[in-house]
Amino acid sequence: MSIIAVYNIKGGVGKTATSVNLAYLSSLQPSKTLLLDMDPQGSASYYFRIRSKEKFNTKKLLKGGKHIEENIRGTDYPGLDMLPADFSYRNIDIALDECKKSQKRLHKVLQPLLEEYDRIILDCPPNLTLLSENIFYAADCILAPVIPTTLSLLSLEQLFDFLEEVELGRDKVHIFFSMVEKRKKMHSELMQSMQGREGVLRSVIPYSADIERMGIYRQPVAAALPGSHAAAAYEDLWHEVQNRCRI
Amino acid sequence: MQPPGADTWHLPDALQVEAILSALSAEFGHIAAPEYAATVMYADSFDWRLYQQGFLLHCHGQAWTLYHGDSSEVTVQQGGPELKRACFAQDFPPGPLREILQPILGIRCLLPMATVRLRGRQVRLLNRDEKTVARLVVETQQAMHSTSVFRLIRLFAVRGYDRELLHIRRILAENGVQQPASPMIGFTEGCRESGRRPLDYSSKFSLQLDPADTARQAMARIYQVLLDSIERNIPGVLEDWDSEFLHDLRVAIRRTRSGLSLVTKVLPDAMAQRFKSSFGLLGRVTGPTRDLDVYLLNRDAYLDRLPPALRPGLELYFADLARRRQIEQKRLVRALRSKKSKAVLSAWRRSLHRPDRHPAPHAAMPVRELAGRIIAKRFKRVLRDGSGLHAVTPDAEVHLLRIQCKKLRYAIEFFSSLYPKDEIHLVVRQLKRLQDILGSFNDLSVQQEMLRRTLAEQGCESRHNALWAAALGALMQSLYEEQEALRDHFTEAFEQFSDPATIALFHDLFRKKQEPS
Repeated sequence: MSIIAVYNIKGGVGKTATSVNLAYLSSLQPSKTLLLDMDPQGSASYYFRIRSKEKFNTKKLLKGGKHIEENIRGTDYPGLDMLPADFSYRNIDIALDECKKSQKRLHKVLQPLLEEYDRIILDCPPNLTLLSENIFYAADCILAPVIPTTLSLLSLEQLFDFLEEVELGRDKVHIFFSMVEKRKKMHSELMQSMQGREGVLRSVIPYSADIERMGIYRQPVAAALPGSHAAAAYEDLWHEVQNRCRI
Repeated sequence: MQPPGADTWHLPDALQVEAILSALSAEFGHIAAPEYAATVMYADSFDWRLYQQGFLLHCHGQAWTLYHGDSSEVTVQQGGPELKRACFAQDFPPGPLREILQPILGIRCLLPMATVRLRGRQVRLLNRDEKTVARLVVETQQAMHSTSVFRLIRLFAVRGYDRELLHIRRILAENGVQQPASPMIGFTEGCRESGRRPLDYSSKFSLQLDPADTARQAMARIYQVLLDSIERNIPGVLEDWDSEFLHDLRVAIRRTRSGLSLVTKVLPDAMAQRFKSSFGLLGRVTGPTRDLDVYLLNRDAYLDRLPPALRPGLELYFADLARRRQIEQKRLVRALRSKKSKAVLSAWRRSLHRPDRHPAPHAAMPVRELAGRIIAKRFKRVLRDGSGLHAVTPDAEVHLLRIQCKKLRYAIEFFSSLYPKDEIHLVVRQLKRLQDILGSFNDLSVQQEMLRRTLAEQGCESRHNALWAAALGALMQSLYEEQEALRDHFTEAFEQFSDPATIALFHDLFRKKQEPS
C-alpha cells in the first residue's frame, strides 16, 4: 500500500501522461489502483473519459470518507479507478488553509482509501503551494518528470529548497527525464551531467508522438499501443520506480 | 451504490446477443471483444478449503485463475503446474497465487472437482463520451459429459455509473432477460457430473440427531456417518493424494472404536465385540504409514531445531523415512484392498441397519438419556484421573489421561446436536485446551521413543551412521527439552478445565433430570 505523487513545479513536463500510464501499469499487476486527478484542468480525467459528478467539489474532497468514495469512478480498465478532478480545485489552497493541521489534511483524507486500494497515484497541479506541501507529506514517493533544460533544472532546485524549508527532506523525491529528444545536444549534455546523481532514475521517457496523441485516442499509451517505444519506456520507468521506492 | 460483481441471468434460447445489443444501442454504444473458448478445470482440496473461503480456482493448461465465487472478481491470474495429478500449493512458482493458496490449503492437495467448457464474449457498453459504463458477458457453460448447455448473460458494474447500470438492467428485462442464474451453474453441474457437491465433505464430525430417536437408532446414524467418512477417504489413501486422507480415515476408525467401547448395551454385545476387534485391526494397519507421515510433515521444523552442522545427518534420516514410508504405504494399500477389509465395512453397514434379533438392554433408551449418562461418566473419569496430574507424572500416565480426554471429546461430539450450541462450544473449548497440551506432550514423547528405537537398531560403525546418530541425538535433546517445559503447564491446564464453573456447566448440561417433553 503506497501513495505515489507525480509532481513538478513546471507545467507541460509530462506529469499527466506519466500518472495515467503508471496507474494503468500498476493495475495490470494486478494491484487495485486509484488515480487521483488533483489538477483543476482535469487532463487525467479527460484521458479516461471521466467527468466528475456535478455535486463534487473541493470541500467534498477535503471532507473525505464517503464524500470521496461516492465520487470515485471505474475506468475502462478493471482494477483501475479514478477520482476525477473538479474545476473548484483551483481554489483548493484557500479551503486547505481553513482546515486544522492544514499541511496534513490530504494525508488524513487518503489514509482510509488505502484499505481498499493497493496504490494511490496523485496527478498533481504545477505549483508550489499549501497543496504541494500536503502532497509531499502524504506521498511515500514523489516522482518528478524533468525536461532536460536549464529552466527545468532550476525549478528542481526550487523544489529541493522548498522541501528543506518545510523540513521534509529530499529522500522521497525521484527524478526522471521526460520528453527527451535524442537529437538535441543540450538534452543529452544536461542528462549526462545529472546521470548517477542521487535520486535520479535511469529510465527516460522520450518525446513521442504516440504520447502526444493520447489526447486523441484517450487511453494510456501502454493500453492503446502496448508494443510501442513509448509504452516500453513507461514499463521500464514503472519497474524502476517499484524497485527504488520498494512499493 | 451497487454491490461489486455481476448480475447473472439465463439467456433464453430464442434470444440472440445481437438483438440485445441492438435494443441497447439507442442509449449505449458498444465494443465487443473477440470470442473466447476454453475448457477449464476447477480445483479445490477434498474438503473444499478454497470454496469455504469464497474462492473458486480454475486452470486451463498451466494458466490458473483464482477468483471470488460470488462477485467473479479475479484475485490472481498466474502460471502454475498442470493438474494432471494431485498438486500442492508449493508446486506453484513463488508469487501471489502461491502466497494465497499456501495458508488456505496447508498440507492438502488440489484435486480436479469439475471440468467445464466455457465459451463467450465480453462487450463493453459505452456512454456518449465512449467511456465504458458497464460490461456484458455472454457465456455458455457446459460441464464435461453433461448434455445441458447453460446460456448466461452477466452484467458487470463499473464503479460510479449506477444510473446507467439500472438503465441497462431495465432494457435487458424488457427484452426477456429476467430469470436469474447462478454464475457458478457450470461449476455446480460439473461437480455433480464428477459425483461431488460443494462442501459435501468435512473432517469435522457433524450430525443432527433427533431427540426422539432411540439409542439404537441414534448410534446407527452416528456409525453410518463415520462409515461414510471411512469409505470416502479410502480412495485418497489408496492413491496417496495427500496425508490428510489417511489421517481422516484413522480418525473415523478411532471414533467408531471409541463409540463401540463407550456406548455399551445399545448394540447387541456379540456384534459390538466383533466389530470392535475388526476396526481395531483396521486401525492398526493404518498406524505405521501415519507415524511416518507425522515425521515427514515435521521435516522442516525438525531441521530448524538442529545446528546447521548436524542437519545433513537428519536429512539422511528423512531420506530413509521416505523410503520406509513407500514400503509401508504399499502394505497399507494391499491391506485396504483386501477382501477382508471390504467385507468388514459391508458387514458393518448391513448390521447397522438390520433389526437386532435380540435387542440389547439399552437399545430402546431415549438418546438424550444415553448421551447424558455417557458424557457424565466420561467427565467424571477425566476429573478423577486428572486430579493426580502434576509436573512429574510419568509419561505413560499422561498418555492414559489423554486417552480419557479423547473419549470424552468424542462422546460430546457424537451427541452435541442434542444440546445448546453455545454451551457445547464452551465445554469443548475448555476440554480442547487441556487436550492440546496433553497431545503435544504425547507427540513429543512418541517421537523421542521412535528416535530411541531407531538408534537402538542402528549400529554406529560407519561415518554415515555416526552423522545420523549425532543428528538424532540432538533432535532427541531438543524434543525432550520442549516436552519437559510442557510439564510446568499441566497443573494450570487441568485447574482451568476443572474449575467450579466448568464442573457446574457439565452438571447442568449432562446431569440434569430429563424433563418430560
